[in-house]
Amino acid sequence: MPRSGALADHWLAETLRLREAHWGPLDDAHAVRQARLAGPAFQDRVLARARSLGERNGLPATLQGWRRAAAATLAAAAAFAVLAGAGAATAALGDGARPVNILWALGALLGLHALTMLLWLGSFLVGGGEGSWLGQAWLWATRRLARGPDAALAPQALSTLLARHGALRWLLGAVTHAWWLLALTAALLALLVVLSTRRYGFAWETTLLDPDTFVRLARAVGWLPARLGFALPDEAMVRASDGLQALPPGARAAWSGWLIGALAVYGIAPRLLAAAWCAARAAAALRGLRIDPSLPGYAGLQERLCPSVEPLGADAPDGPDAAPRLGRPAGSAGADAVLAGIELPADQPWPPLPLPAGVDCPAVLDTREQRQALLDALSRRPPARLLLACDAGQTPDRGTLALVAALAGLAGDTRIWLLRPAAGPDRTPTWRERLAAAGLAAPAFSAAQDAARWLEHGDA
Amino acid sequence: MPESADVLKVAVAGHTNTGKTSLMRTLTRDPAFGKVADSPGTTRRVEGSRLLAQGRPVLELFDTPGMEDGIALLEFLERLPRPGERLDGPARVQRFLEGPEAHGRFEQEARVLRKLLDCDAALYVIDARDPVLGKHRDELAILAGCARPLLPVLNFVGRPPHRADAWREALGRLGLHVQVEFDTVAPALDGEQQLYSRLATLLDRHRPALAALMADLDRQRRERREAAAGLVADMLVDVAALRLPVRGGEDEQAALAGVRERVRAREQQCVEALLALYRFRPGDYAADPLPLDGTRWGMDLFHPQALKDMGIGLGKGMVAGAMAGATLDAFTAGLSLGAATLIGAAAGGLWQGADRLGQRVLGRLRGWRELTVDDPVLRLLALRQQALARALERRGHAARDPLRLAPPSDEAWRSGPLPEALAEARSQPSWSSLSGRLADSPRREAVVRSLAAALLDAPAPADGG
Repeated sequence: MPRSGALADHWLAETLRLREAHWGPLDDAHAVRQARLAGPAFQDRVLARARSLGERNGLPATLQGWRRAAAATLAAAAAFAVLAGAGAATAALGDGARPVNILWALGALLGLHALTMLLWLGSFLVGGGEGSWLGQAWLWATRRLARGPDAALAPQALSTLLARHGALRWLLGAVTHAWWLLALTAALLALLVVLSTRRYGFAWETTLLDPDTFVRLARAVGWLPARLGFALPDEAMVRASDGLQALPPGARAAWSGWLIGALAVYGIAPRLLAAAWCAARAAAALRGLRIDPSLPGYAGLQERLCPSVEPLGADAPDGPDAAPRLGRPAGSAGADAVLAGIELPADQPWPPLPLPAGVDCPAVLDTREQRQALLDALSRRPPARLLLACDAGQTPDRGTLALVAALAGLAGDTRIWLLRPAAGPDRTPTWRERLAAAGLAAPAFSAAQDAARWLEHGDA
Repeated sequence: MPESADVLKVAVAGHTNTGKTSLMRTLTRDPAFGKVADSPGTTRRVEGSRLLAQGRPVLELFDTPGMEDGIALLEFLERLPRPGERLDGPARVQRFLEGPEAHGRFEQEARVLRKLLDCDAALYVIDARDPVLGKHRDELAILAGCARPLLPVLNFVGRPPHRADAWREALGRLGLHVQVEFDTVAPALDGEQQLYSRLATLLDRHRPALAALMADLDRQRRERREAAAGLVADMLVDVAALRLPVRGGEDEQAALAGVRERVRAREQQCVEALLALYRFRPGDYAADPLPLDGTRWGMDLFHPQALKDMGIGLGKGMVAGAMAGATLDAFTAGLSLGAATLIGAAAGGLWQGADRLGQRVLGRLRGWRELTVDDPVLRLLALRQQALARALERRGHAARDPLRLAPPSDEAWRSGPLPEALAEARSQPSWSSLSGRLADSPRREAVVRSLAAALLDAPAPADGG
């Protein structure tokens, strides 16, 4: 027996998924919050969300109503099966005024059943179908009859859900076989009652065929039931039952047993086996119900129901943007000019321009010691003009700007020369902005000749 | 379940403007995390995110402000021990954090160090385009003073020129031999796996947690792929199945415009679903709408040039400009398409077939015709959305460049026969959500599934980066 609770949950979730896929998402903030309290697995949370959202939208009531309607339909079908079975049995035997035509009775009892059974078996050979047409017709009819969009979604969701798990064919098959089982059992009971309470003669009739055919036929049909203890008319009895001779006393009972045996063995037994098999397969398939996260409606839910990332927040508000500020330029400036490079890459040729006479050019500043050396040198002998060459490809950070500020405080006038990188990012605008913020009013040079001219002659 | 105190904590540190916040965005798939700009000091606080695997926290990542004043700070730290006193690295950092300069000149650096002392390890993010400088060495010396394992992450290695070799050598001289390349804008498909597995070599105790995280990332990636294929397949079935009846006397051009509008809206819906799936929310780009490469992306679906760009042969409808992309034909309700139809009708239920036969006869009698979308448009949709899904898969959540769609190398979709699933969808007008009469059936779902499987099997374009 499948866990009906699990099936109901999955059905509800599938109905909701289809509903959201067709008519757009529902407002589920509350439902998602609730669902996150359910188990850690995505499936638990999807089902919890569906329960919570579904209740708000009255879906469980719709599904319940549909389930009731389906049960009522099935009950009606069962009642019809009983009537049809009993009716077929009594009609097959007639009112007893005439002898029962054996073949016609057999055909009336088993013909339609055998045909549909063969069709059902044949559907396995064709493959690809979703099971019995009877079941499909039932769903199709429900869709046509359903009032309101949600009511139509319920059976649709059920059939997609079942088909996805390979349960639809087996479930519809079980229903169909159970219906036939009921009908044939009713026929058997009716047969027993009528045969017990009325006198029937049995006869075969033919215009075309040979009596031997009937002998062989009766034996072939009766062989399997006879193994199970049902009566089998012997050859003389069959030959005598041509409707023209008076039947021997045991013949009526033998023919009744033969007919009952055929109905039980070729009618009830296969349907019972098929129904049990289908039910077992359906139950097995339903035990494997699961939520498939790759379905269109669920793909977007994954991250909301089972977030892979949670924010942890910040430690404190943003710190101050402590940009260094230039001090006052040195007062007692000498006459010479100095060109210094700050944190230039190793592949940058140095010095980058032919130095004018009288211009001092220390090594490129990189380490703390190099910085200290230049700071010491400048404080001993402040130059009139200090040109600092910087790499515009790098980011002007606070440490570099602090160095620029410290150096500028030791020279009469300080200018920056931004060397543009051959490749990679060019951050000249950021440099200009930061330098201006630090209080270096004069614009930085970008062209080598401008820088060289300033170094040699100053602003003049 | 590990206690919160036991979860692996990793700080993301580095020089200013090297892509720390970008790395956070990419690792957390959260394009809204923090602030990203090409300027120094963009991040001025420590902000964290917790990564979960199967609902359990496994890793806490902390974005920190950039180090900007390493040389001065190291000098300051070295002056901290009193004469005759010896302090080890963490003790020295601790004394600095208790002193006044931790709230003054070195406020940003103090926040980094405080977080680092609280963490199990740090990722040291490097802009591999920068030269290796003394300030970087001093920074690394300060961070090493916290006595936490450091994993250098070389960022911006995707596009030359960069100085990754110089960095590797310099890091090796500092004893940092385990390094990883990770481009935050265009990460390699296995970039995260590489990063976490290198981290695991430094953190033996947390190896199981990192393994669980990697397994979960792998699962997520696979599921996202399958879901993306499902979304594209669903859209293709919707469009292929669309059969819009044009009643006698109705304006064909108006009906055609309606069809085009619906198909465009459906493509847009698919784009939005894919963006949401890969966590590129359109809302995150409110000020700066998700940049899609103009020339190829912005091209209208029904413009013949869009097909030419994708290398799709033009169908008959395409040449006739007015009816481009759609075919107006005798009304069939999907019942005139040969063997596929018959099988589809049988599988979908004889009743539906009979139902549609009735519609067809009725429609013919009334002189209706119907509009369908041409095959080249289906091809274009398939190629375009697949290309989008692939581009999103490879896009880092820190990327701000226009999304460029790789030209498809998929001959099967460009010129081969369309999958049988689409032929079957053509015969099932009720499968299209665009018609307003969608009736979901198990068969439709099976067809979408088989189509999605075909899309997943399609060859990926050459991985040129």
